[in-house]
Amino acid sequence: MRALLKTLKILFFLCTGLYIILFIVFFFDLDGKALFYGVEPFLSNHYDRMKRKDPLEKIYSTDTPNYEYND
Amino acid sequence: MSEKKSYTRQDVMNKVKSLASDFWNGKPHEERRLGDLYVDKTGLYKHREWRGFKDTMYYFNMIWLYNYGHMISDIMKYGGGLKGPILFARGVWRYRWLGQSYLPVMHWFDRGLEGMRGEGLKASAWHYRAMVSETIRQFMRMLQADQNLGGDPEIWKKTLAHDETVWGGIFYPWRDRMDDVPLQMIPYFVTCHVNNHVVLNYIDAAQSIGLPGDPCPMCQAEAGIFILDDVPDYFPAVVTSNEACDGSVGTSVLQDWMMNKPLFAMPQPMQFDDPLVQEHCAREIEECWKFIEEQTGEKFNCEELVKHLERQNELQRFEWEKWEVAANTDYYPINGVSQALYRIYQSQDGDRDIWHETDARVKKILEKCVENKINSYPLTRHRVIAWSCAPLYYSHWCTWAYNCWGLNCIINMDSLMFDMTIRTDSYENMLQDMALYHEWAPMRRMAVGGMHHIFELWEYMERFHCDMVMMYDQLQCKGMQGVHGLFEDEFRARNIHAIWMPHALPDKRTVSRSEIRSIVNDYMTTIMHEEPLDPTLLEFDDSEGW
Ligand code: SF4
Repeated sequence: MRALLKTLKILFFLCTGLYIILFIVFFFDLDGKALFYGVEPFLSNHYDRMKRKDPLEKIYSTDTPNYEYND
Repeated sequence: MSEKKSYTRQDVMNKVKSLASDFWNGKPHEERRLGDLYVDKTGLYKHREWRGFKDTMYYFNMIWLYNYGHMISDIMKYGGGLKGPILFARGVWRYRWLGQSYLPVMHWFDRGLEGMRGEGLKASAWHYRAMVSETIRQFMRMLQADQNLGGDPEIWKKTLAHDETVWGGIFYPWRDRMDDVPLQMIPYFVTCHVNNHVVLNYIDAAQSIGLPGDPCPMCQAEAGIFILDDVPDYFPAVVTSNEACDGSVGTSVLQDWMMNKPLFAMPQPMQFDDPLVQEHCAREIEECWKFIEEQTGEKFNCEELVKHLERQNELQRFEWEKWEVAANTDYYPINGVSQALYRIYQSQDGDRDIWHETDARVKKILEKCVENKINSYPLTRHRVIAWSCAPLYYSHWCTWAYNCWGLNCIINMDSLMFDMTIRTDSYENMLQDMALYHEWAPMRRMAVGGMHHIFELWEYMERFHCDMVMMYDQLQCKGMQGVHGLFEDEFRARNIHAIWMPHALPDKRTVSRSEIRSIVNDYMTTIMHEEPLDPTLLEFDDSEGW
């Protein structure tokens, strides 16, 4: 019983602590700042460097497959 | 000496009282100084707004935490459980539009809901939540089927693609076995609102292969996504349209080239009032159904079609209820940007569970506001109707305009285009109504659908009791530029206050948000001779913001 109570107490404090930390992140817009200054530039660099297929190398064929519905 | 002491005590008491009131209720509108909260250039907040205890806690628990939580749980729900987050991470790594726009979603909420309180805050936030959920559903379906990421070929076979301007209702007959996901709704349309940096890459890509820079940037961007090879391969066949205008035809040609898949072109006619055109359009829908049957081997199911049309009619009936309250009372709780985005998304997407769930929640709030006479916008000075094609990178201008000037955007053109239910009493009636709905597509019915329709503005202005027009002026929209002078004449003749808002749809580089604000500011001071409600919002630099 005592062990259970102790666990509940620890859980309660952990949850309260987490809730307060999240509130601080929310209130000071720390999520926005981390995304703006950290995550977005990192991802953007990654996308800029990605190898991409050259679309102009594709041949533009209009004859296959045949799908006419004008009857 | 003692007199001074008692005065100071009183002063302290007053200060404490006012701080306590600010803590509990939030500051009164005119004392909020929302502009002071911004970090220069970025649009970030030094700290998020304190809206009073109840509303801040609502925002923190029911908007910020709730939506971050659901952004994870929806990925699992629509991505096949625990596999979902892994698939999502791979998608983020592969596609710019996904990674760069998914993460700042909560800032999109912040911008649209700035300064809001009480029932208005709640109702508007539920609209945002629905759009996020539907967005996740769509891109998780894309990723599950995506052959670029080694997706499931069975899901690929059962997923059809279509232009975002082809109404999802066309695919209702197969919703029991298959799914349909628009090509550009998320990679283009949603990203422009959430993070306006993303689309610039696609516009530049279109111009980098030698295409001219003067067509509508929407059409350029939609082609650019393909040019940058940033489209998941999630579908065996595609239905395209010429919507909204000729630029889109050009986009479809490029898409056809780069997709190299069976494609059915289903253009919406410009002059759709002609009964012969109507007949042609109805037959074209049937041809499209035949195309889908042949490409997928799945038979047309009329019962499924009727079921979804009737459910869609339910959504439309509630939308009419909302319009009724917005038009005739001061108790409409939904703000301008939530109204506009939710409605265009939902009416174009068609019947999905999330719209019904959201409408049920919003209905309760709406009824509460009407019964208890709750005015969510008490400092409204002008009831505004927004007309023509809107700036996607500044769809939240309405939130700013209310906070700064008391301009309350009651309704907008995009909300009003699908002003109809669809008859299901006979096959022929149903098809005729479906054809009309298909023709009344975004920007077609009122923007490039002919004089009679573009001038429906006057009727809607009266119906919604608006005294001012926010007239969008898309600088690269040839159709709307062509009628600029006619509108000027009409505004003058009818003695209507109209503010022309120049913009370039998704491209903030042509006209910035701050230029837009300064045009509104100039009109409000020089023509209307009004004072701002919150002067800190007159000028600020958010040029690098999402
Ligand atoms: S904004 Fe104008 S040019 Fe662009 S798609 Fe719409 S109607 Fe066409």
